[in-house]
Amino acid sequence: MLEEALEHLVKGIVEHPDDVRVRARRIRTGRVLEVRVHPDDLGKVIGRGGRTAKALRTVINSLADGKFVRVDLLDLNEAR
Amino acid sequence: MTETEQETVQAAPDLAALEQEGEIAADYIEGLLDIADIDGDIDMDVEGDRAVVSVVDVKGGDLVGPNGETLEALQELTRLAVHRQTGERSRLMLDVGGFREKRRAELSKLGAKIAEDVKRSGEPKPLQPMTPFERKIVHDAVAAAGLRSESEGEEPRRYVVVLPA
Repeated sequence: MLEEALEHLVKGIVEHPDDVRVRARRIRTGRVLEVRVHPDDLGKVIGRGGRTAKALRTVINSLADGKFVRVDLLDLNEAR
Repeated sequence: MTETEQETVQAAPDLAALEQEGEIAADYIEGLLDIADIDGDIDMDVEGDRAVVSVVDVKGGDLVGPNGETLEALQELTRLAVHRQTGERSRLMLDVGGFREKRRAELSKLGAKIAEDVKRSGEPKPLQPMTPFERKIVHDAVAAAGLRSESEGEEPRRYVVVLPA
């Protein structure tokens, strides 16, 4: 559900919604949601001073039932 | 209200534009409610020169958060979603479960009470840090009580000071 919620929130604010990809990964300390967006949209999802990234993390963690979820924002072409 | 608290001056949007903002915002929020399996009805309204979207009768999920922090975050994202579709900066207000309405009533009461205290003591009185939305309500309540107030400090620790006459 969190992946889908994050995808919805991000798709609504970018210029290239079809390029939004969300992938969930498990790491030792919990979960990571990796969001990839069109390179032109990366600045938009981060926002001035990281404001938009912070808003996305706040809403997702609020929906996560008290479990910490890390949200990473990446450019579509960035290797990982 | 001090100058910094007034938002950038721009042409007042007309009613149709504000209603359109409300529609876009309601779609964005409704999509999230569906995904997160949160029940709620969405009310749309226009108050003065801003669109207001309220989620009422909410069951499940926490979209308000401690001190309304989740609500602020969601409002921020919703404004961006509106901006993407209209190209205009949005001042839309989002409410969930009557949180803002309740907060407004509390802060109005607080502003009136502090104004009375300051009238009696003749001393300026600083309040706790508040969001711009909250400070505006306090400034209005103090003005209604016949006193002046200003904001000091830097965000996010900016706070109202009520001044004696």
